Amino acid sequence: MAPEAPHSPGRRSLLRRGLIGGALLAAGGAGLLAFRPGRRMPAPPGGLRVFSEHEAAVLDALAHRLVGALPGWPGVEEVGVVPVVDGIAARTEPSVQAELKQLLGLFDNALAGFLLGGRLRPFTRLDPADQDRVLAEWRDSRIALRRTGYNALRTLVLAGYYQSPLTWRPMGYPGPPGDYLQPDAEVWLGGTSPRPEGNGVFHPEALR
Amino acid sequence: MSGRIRTGADLTRDTEVTADVCVVGSGAGGGVLAEQLVARGLRVVMLEEGGYHTRAEFNMRESWAYPALYQEMANRATDDQSVLILQGRSVGGGTTVNWCTSFRTPKRVLDFWASHAGVEGFTEAALTPHWEALERRLHIREWPLEAMNRNNRVLWDGCARLGFSRGLIRRNVNNCADLGMCGLGCPIDAKQSMLVTLIPDAVERGLDVYANASARRILVDGRKARGVVAELLDPARDAPRGITLTVRAKTVAVCGGAINSPALLLRSGLTGRGNVGKKLFLHPVVIMAAQMEEPVEAWAGAPQAAHSHHFSDRGPGRVGYFLEVPPLYPMIAATVLPGFGAPHQKLMERLPYTQVTIAITEDGFLPGDDGGTVRLRDAKERRVHIDYPLRPPQWEAFRDACKVMARIQLAGGAREVYSLHARPVRLRPGDDIDRLLDAAPWEPGLVRVATAHQMGGCCMGKDPDTSVVDSTLRYHELDNLFVVDGSVFPTSLGVNPQESIFGVARLRSAAVAASVS
Repeated sequence: MAPEAPHSPGRRSLLRRGLIGGALLAAGGAGLLAFRPGRRMPAPPGGLRVFSEHEAAVLDALAHRLVGALPGWPGVEEVGVVPVVDGIAARTEPSVQAELKQLLGLFDNALAGFLLGGRLRPFTRLDPADQDRVLAEWRDSRIALRRTGYNALRTLVLAGYYQSPLTWRPMGYPGPPGDYLQPDAEVWLGGTSPRPEGNGVFHPEALR
Repeated sequence: MSGRIRTGADLTRDTEVTADVCVVGSGAGGGVLAEQLVARGLRVVMLEEGGYHTRAEFNMRESWAYPALYQEMANRATDDQSVLILQGRSVGGGTTVNWCTSFRTPKRVLDFWASHAGVEGFTEAALTPHWEALERRLHIREWPLEAMNRNNRVLWDGCARLGFSRGLIRRNVNNCADLGMCGLGCPIDAKQSMLVTLIPDAVERGLDVYANASARRILVDGRKARGVVAELLDPARDAPRGITLTVRAKTVAVCGGAINSPALLLRSGLTGRGNVGKKLFLHPVVIMAAQMEEPVEAWAGAPQAAHSHHFSDRGPGRVGYFLEVPPLYPMIAATVLPGFGAPHQKLMERLPYTQVTIAITEDGFLPGDDGGTVRLRDAKERRVHIDYPLRPPQWEAFRDACKVMARIQLAGGAREVYSLHARPVRLRPGDDIDRLLDAAPWEPGLVRVATAHQMGGCCMGKDPDTSVVDSTLRYHELDNLFVVDGSVFPTSLGVNPQESIFGVARLRSAAVAASVS
């Protein structure tokens, strides 16, 4: 049996697949509103690997609204949510990066905001209360694709914030039990070296 | 003579090796199979797409563990993001990061496979000697009640107060220090994962392991599989190095798990008459969180010690479910707990007091419950399409399960319980649980659904028109290609899967060995 060519349904990106699909993205490239500029965020020290300054500004604005700012918690800048998320995105494959960029663009897109929510200003130029309303619209939308977008961006931003050990204290998490770290444990590679006895058998007395 | 464990950094040019059997994947299926094959004197080469990570690196930090040890950095999901998919990806596969829960396959499930899929030979009598041998080697035994952590205790006590049946969980651990970090890699090798048990056992007897070797294509010639072509990944970047490793083998065993195994077959042009990638079962999980008066610290202690299968059989036409609890590490908690802004941050401030219960729904048993689908994307993409349409009987089960969990948590002492809806439903003692949860939206993307158990996609069965492999796990249309992992299950399991996968792999290792010629 000769192998068939792998099934290739063609590139169906996150945004072209769904309801917002054709209409918005096509319009997004053309109309005047689409070019209403959102804010830009200067690249952090060390630069950005995946996101543009505009996309970084959208992420930054999202992070400020999604994370919250209760007393005692580190700030979004202190944790470095934008560079962390940029670093996470850099480890994904190019198609995922393209989707994330598209999604951030659409989130800030004034035309999309107008068609979906009746607003003429990009997300990054709204005041915080209006930004929260936009987030709630995406979250509660009847359009499954917007909910998908909300969940994807929310997960990414919250992961970017809560990966930081700076968040441990305000949430009362003591961190991993450090006594059990064994960075010097032998990494067995087979071959002529004997399998270390501890590999698969834990000896409590070997600790400390 | 011992084999070797190599990583993607160790080869500098295109390389070809030969073997009796090429085992693709190093999880519950591949680990057991490889060990059984080398014990029969066969030369085995194992390919693992993920990295080789050991306790020397297991720092119990999510920020390290998710990219290193999970598929798609623990952010794998269905295309519409409605189901979050936690799945392992490193040497040891899921067994390196699972929560150690070990159940034998329920008899009712084995009977269902025989009666509905024409599966032969998967009986308790046939599997028991294999389960027993594995239970000895992997130290599978009941976790003692007196060691149960507070997170489990809420489920345990709540079930008792409401008269629901409950049981203690068996775990594959040896000298466990009860750290609770199982999901991030066991730093003391107490977890008897494939990484520290059967894989090194097999390496001592000649198994060669290549980590960071992503199998791209099975070589096929007529009715014969001839080997596997893998792309080596740079361990530091997890990206292709432009070097291939070709394993010429007399038999090929695909053990990549319920999403990656069907994907490899599809990339190889093996569609199994359209059945490859179909009937993906995920044990879709819904979750309820509870605020307790006393600290729970659900990150500490054996993650899973109590279960209830009281609602496993809910009668004809209904989807059953079973109840357990998950460990609650900060990052995963933050992404799974609902809301945003200050309300979300307040939930995070209560993390030490938060108890979480999960209901794991049993998919694949009702007529028309065909689960989900795995399809290829663009040939260049490593990610695949994963679709899982949640059907009305599942939504009914989700709603029912959330009501039951709320009652258990309130009976267990919770002062408030909340659902994981995008806008959470909050329930306090005395509230009308049925009315409030019935009013919530039960739709994709509006309530958190997750899975840590992936099954199906290369279903076993008698009929090549409706299944991918036969009861010996051989691909119907080839003489020497086998699928040996959770993807062969014709339904979900109704229990956590690892021991079922171990058992199936050990039982069918003889058939795989017999095909070598």
